[in-house]
Amino acid sequence: MKKLVSTIKVEWSLNIRNFLNVFFSLVFPVMMLLLFGSIYGNEPSTYYGGYGSVDVLTPGYLGMVIAVAGLMTLPITLSQYRERKILKRFKATPMGPKEILISQFVVNTVVTMISSLILIVVGIIVFHLKFYGNVLLMLLAYLLVVINLFSLGLCIASISKNAKAALAISYVIYFPMLFLSGATLPLEFMPNGIKMISKGLPLTYGVELMKGLWLGKALSDFTMHIGVLLLLSLVLIIISYKTFKYE
Amino acid sequence: MIAIEVKELVKTYGELKAVDDVSLRIKEGEIFGLLGPNGAGKSTLMECMAGLKKYDKGQILIEGQDVNQLGKKLYNTIGVQLQETAYPEHLKVKELCKWFSDLYEKPADYNELLKKFHLSDKANNYVNTLSGGQRQKIAIILALIGKPHILFLDELTTGLDPNSKKEMWAEIKALKEVGLTIFLTTHNMEEASYLCDQIAVLDEGKLLLVDTLDQVIASTQLNHEVSFKAGIEEMQQLKSVLKIEAEVEFIQETVKVSSSHEDLITHVVLALNHYKIPYEKIQMKSPTLEDAYLKLTGKYWEV
Repeated sequence: MKKLVSTIKVEWSLNIRNFLNVFFSLVFPVMMLLLFGSIYGNEPSTYYGGYGSVDVLTPGYLGMVIAVAGLMTLPITLSQYRERKILKRFKATPMGPKEILISQFVVNTVVTMISSLILIVVGIIVFHLKFYGNVLLMLLAYLLVVINLFSLGLCIASISKNAKAALAISYVIYFPMLFLSGATLPLEFMPNGIKMISKGLPLTYGVELMKGLWLGKALSDFTMHIGVLLLLSLVLIIISYKTFKYE
Repeated sequence: MIAIEVKELVKTYGELKAVDDVSLRIKEGEIFGLLGPNGAGKSTLMECMAGLKKYDKGQILIEGQDVNQLGKKLYNTIGVQLQETAYPEHLKVKELCKWFSDLYEKPADYNELLKKFHLSDKANNYVNTLSGGQRQKIAIILALIGKPHILFLDELTTGLDPNSKKEMWAEIKALKEVGLTIFLTTHNMEEASYLCDQIAVLDEGKLLLVDTLDQVIASTQLNHEVSFKAGIEEMQQLKSVLKIEAEVEFIQETVKVSSSHEDLITHVVLALNHYKIPYEKIQMKSPTLEDAYLKLTGKYWEV
């Protein structure tokens, strides 16, 4: 336990000392909200079935926040640890890969939640953001998306040969996902071809789930989404565990 | 007591035999040097011994217990310094030390270790701002933090400037004094000669020999050389009065006596004194590990 706590503390310091992490996970989402919020406003709109733009966009931004931590910070940090032989050095201590992976999970989840809270608070203050759903269900859905995207990130870290490859794979998955999953640009306005592509992206299911629960829709409407996310997470975790390498 | 025993170890990478049937016994409290050129398989052998690499055949016992069965418990007994380990950027020296000490049940006091290695004033510096020598000291400190009985050092001084190297050698000798068993790999002959109680030479995965430095050199039967300045006339008699087999050469004013006898110089001085032959600037040159390596392998030592 001492091992894990200490590792989490160190990872926390490292995370908040990294400028790119802080910018992309804490500052960038708020900038997006302020930008698009000021363009569209949060007046009830017929485009969004009577909800305000910001009310509809915010759950998507939450997806973006989770994706930054899961698909950028997590795999890049881990693959750098491997490339710089830091993981190998830890192999020669009483600490196992479990503690390293759990601490990455914990720290990035905490960063993600803080960032999400800031986003929501800014939304409430600036745009009178409204929440129509059940807080507990929303939180569970949020954590499900965290687990899903983080296990995708772990999988990228495990299968990529080096830090450069991890970076490339992360970018290739992250950016299309950001724009095509409904996280930043509403899918409602997208042509059919793009909507088809979006069906293949895990974040699409996460964003639809969070958006639905945010706007107070019934959980039973999303059994398929939850199933997809759970199953995919399970597969990804198994792959990343089986392929985990110290060097 | 035997600290480490390696029995008929084989490690292959595909077709390549990186470690080829190696057996070693390392006594408690000694400094054991594994010497070999780059690519000889030194790191691979060491990493197998330190439980970091799986091997194909053979057995490794650390304090009598099989490395594979010890699992993570091994790291309460051994401390490891690896070649080319970096540390996370944006981490301070004391944070790194605290982190490592939290990984062990009963860690050493890292502040004491920092003091011992003269790094106390760097405790608040970021690790990536340290010099090469300071970084290697950190690597040793981290290897010592779990209070190991056995220390594995992989090319600790490679790339260090001569002063840092000497300083590091003194530290390693001091660690031996407090009872640690030290296994080190090096491609520096001087380092192996200066530090090691036993030397093993590894080449292309095969162990060429294991012995004490003196025995390694003695086994090659290379000549010791004594040279001094003296008048030529007096020297004609020296050959006949020396009590041991030796060759005597004259190069201008200098006399050169060579023999495989280790106490050559004593015999020469006794003879010179006995016949009251005046001489000056006497010196002896003994064969080095480098000479022995050349004789043993037929290869020049290349770093």
